[in-house]
Amino acid sequence: MLEFTILKATGALAPRLGRLSLPKRKSIPTPGFIGNTSRGVIPHISQDNFSKSLNLNGVYVALEDFIEKIPQKTPPVFQHEGPETLRKFIALPQDTLIVLGPRRNPPIPSPLHSTNKELGVLTSVGFKALSSEYYAAAARKLQPDIVVGLADIPFGQEAIGIKRKDKMSDRTEVWTRDIIAKKATIDKDEPSWGIFAPILPIDRDLQSWYLEHLVDDMADKISGVAIYDAYLLDDLSEELHHLPRLSFHAPVSPHEILRQVGLGMDIFTVPFLTDATDAGIALNFAFPAPPKDTNASSRQDLGLDMWSDTHATSVIPLSEGCECYACTKHHRAYIQHLLAAKEMLGWVLIQIHNHAILCSFFAGIRASIEADTFEADVASFERYYESALPEKTGQGPRVRGYQFKPEEHAKPEKKNQRVFTKYDDDKIAELRLAAAHGQQPGAKPETRDAIDEETLVGLLGLGELNVDGARQVESLKLEDDVQTSQ
Amino acid sequence: MAPMPSALKFELLGKCSVTKARAAELHLPHGPVPLPIFMPVATQASLKGLTPDQLEDQGCRLCLNNTYHLGLKPGQATLDAIGGAHKLQSWPHNILTDSGGFQMVSLLKLAKVTEEGVRFLSPHDGSPMLLTPEHSMSLQNSIGSDIMMQLDDVIVTTSPDLARMKEAMERSVRWLDRCIQAHKYPERQNLFCIIQGGLDLDLRRQCTAEMVARDTPGIAIGGLSGGEAKSDYCKVVDTCTGLLPEKKPRYVMGIGYPEDLVVSVALGADMFDCVWPTRTARFGNAITASGMLNLRNVIHSEDFGPIEEGCRCTCCRPTSEGGLGITRAYVYHVTAKETAGAHLLTMHNVHYQLNLMRQAREAILKDRYPQFLKDFFNKLYRGQKEKYPEWAVEALRGVGVDLISD
Repeated sequence: MLEFTILKATGALAPRLGRLSLPKRKSIPTPGFIGNTSRGVIPHISQDNFSKSLNLNGVYVALEDFIEKIPQKTPPVFQHEGPETLRKFIALPQDTLIVLGPRRNPPIPSPLHSTNKELGVLTSVGFKALSSEYYAAAARKLQPDIVVGLADIPFGQEAIGIKRKDKMSDRTEVWTRDIIAKKATIDKDEPSWGIFAPILPIDRDLQSWYLEHLVDDMADKISGVAIYDAYLLDDLSEELHHLPRLSFHAPVSPHEILRQVGLGMDIFTVPFLTDATDAGIALNFAFPAPPKDTNASSRQDLGLDMWSDTHATSVIPLSEGCECYACTKHHRAYIQHLLAAKEMLGWVLIQIHNHAILCSFFAGIRASIEADTFEADVASFERYYESALPEKTGQGPRVRGYQFKPEEHAKPEKKNQRVFTKYDDDKIAELRLAAAHGQQPGAKPETRDAIDEETLVGLLGLGELNVDGARQVESLKLEDDVQTSQ
Repeated sequence: MAPMPSALKFELLGKCSVTKARAAELHLPHGPVPLPIFMPVATQASLKGLTPDQLEDQGCRLCLNNTYHLGLKPGQATLDAIGGAHKLQSWPHNILTDSGGFQMVSLLKLAKVTEEGVRFLSPHDGSPMLLTPEHSMSLQNSIGSDIMMQLDDVIVTTSPDLARMKEAMERSVRWLDRCIQAHKYPERQNLFCIIQGGLDLDLRRQCTAEMVARDTPGIAIGGLSGGEAKSDYCKVVDTCTGLLPEKKPRYVMGIGYPEDLVVSVALGADMFDCVWPTRTARFGNAITASGMLNLRNVIHSEDFGPIEEGCRCTCCRPTSEGGLGITRAYVYHVTAKETAGAHLLTMHNVHYQLNLMRQAREAILKDRYPQFLKDFFNKLYRGQKEKYPEWAVEALRGVGVDLISD
């Protein structure tokens, strides 16, 4: 079954080298990262490109991306013929490891507050409640390699009261015990999965019961831990140190990845990859950093803003020496053109490149730990590069309700620009006049009323979701808020 | 006039003994392509999210770029600096470019045509601009397309103004002469003329004679697919191909529905292009031999079969044969939600169109094209002959194939 080998460790709260392996799957050297999917794909990467152009050994998949119609209707993914229903459904290669969790990463705050029985989740058609029972049944049917246990975390809530934190810990314990118990009932010859138990983003004292029970009763039943706050790694009992650590503490920059690695984190999902891609930013950093040019006073950018027309005639790769498909086949000028022309391929190529940069970054981290130079390398990385990714200047692809980031909900402006506007009466009269004079644009009856493709931004705005999360969040009064203020 | 240099070789390989269909090999500067052929439209030097490798995987060796769009973005200076559109998009195969004239008229609703060229307002700053035959040639020379099109005076075929139609036809001939004059690299880029004349067969005949006399490497039939009756369309194509030299490729512009393709091939046309297959893919529509499937429809949400049974595209081929094994249910799951959903259907639709022409070619080479036509319509309309489109039955009867009898 799932095996985690620690190849090198220099003590607690220090970087470590390891390998997560499972028969029939490519093993994941750690520290390392897995792909972060949306509806079963890495955004912009069709399944053939995944195999050909991304060098990823594992992916994270959120159950909430597949269960639109619960409880009224059985989600289609469960009706797919097994074995390995989920893998088949999303057409993932046989040797890629699947980690299943309840929520997307990062999750969108759900106004449905969790209860003792259920976790609030967001599907593409609205907020739903997911029970522990359902989650276990889903895992059994979908047969992922790793299942991340349900964690009661009220995402998006600024202040969480003591009582609420108690409840978080209690519920998470109940749910973790539940999935362990459910897994135990599976027949020996039926495929099973490893369980990663959540470690909550609250002080050790407030989840001490849960953590104690985890050590005493559950340690031999779990295969790893899912960490929601890397800075609490300090509190992790020594009895759990042999387990792989999967970070759900989303890093916002490579520096933050380094910090977490420094604390002993093993596996990451890196949401900033797709954020950078959507913003048209091609990551451009290496670890260890190249030798610093002593004449250069300023720090290097962590990425290139490919919207900038300074790249318009630049026929060099995104990053010198990068061996990804985008860098070996194409050049900056083309990618700049694709973004300016709002062609979807721009995001495809940047996404491939950004993943390659991160792969090399982690390979560099592992080599550095191996060579015992990690601390010094981090220091020189911090001196060499800016601390944050470049600001987004261009426009990204159309976003869907389930893709909004929590902080975006609060913004009053429209999430997507309007792709077309109605003509006013004057304009209509002008066009009529032109038409009457013989130069009416040719249009087939069947396409006359279709939206012109040149006005489209990436994908069509069809099937627009009616999830006004912001309003729902605001208008809902959380039981927990009331408790906090008491 | 001195014979024009040509950068292509047209190798006729077979002719249908009943219809006017032909199978050929067209040798272009970036490699040979089989005729008849469907050419996907990569408007802005990119085929809707597909990498050049993915396009190649579907069997494409000749695609379109639009001169008007590339002239705006990235612009002629950039194209010159980079060294043309092949280098811009890293496409090692052939490119055909239009003249830019059609987009002027279809996108810029207030374009005005004069003898000098097409006047329009810049979509960037609204300043007046002029596209002349010379400018169009210069742009296409910068793009470096393997096949370039003359600037023509396009008006909708359904226009009732015969005088204007005649004027447009005659102007297109004069503009061809200016294009030939202005074309800098006839030894490495092929200029095609475009036959105009609306639905008036006499005008079309006159125009064909004028155009053929100018001896361009290939010949296009233009101004169609603008909402005219399909039977009128067929008459125009049939009339023109009847007057064209056998040893030159014939390109009917803007045609793309599967029925239109197979009928046009029977009428003697070789090359086609259309944005419809790739556009409709982004709306969640898949083209199959038995008609269109809208995969955004909930009835497909639990359908775990491939998009089309037996299809050899990257998506539909089972994993055991190196494909992805994508199901309709999965396309339903991602279409219009993730860009990758559009990429998957775009690959399938492009493959369908290319494969349809490949199968037509095989049938012609085996001299089985009439049977191919019967099988095609039988499958598309599930054997319901009463549903066959009148225009197709009529047009094919004209070239000796009766879809209805037997």
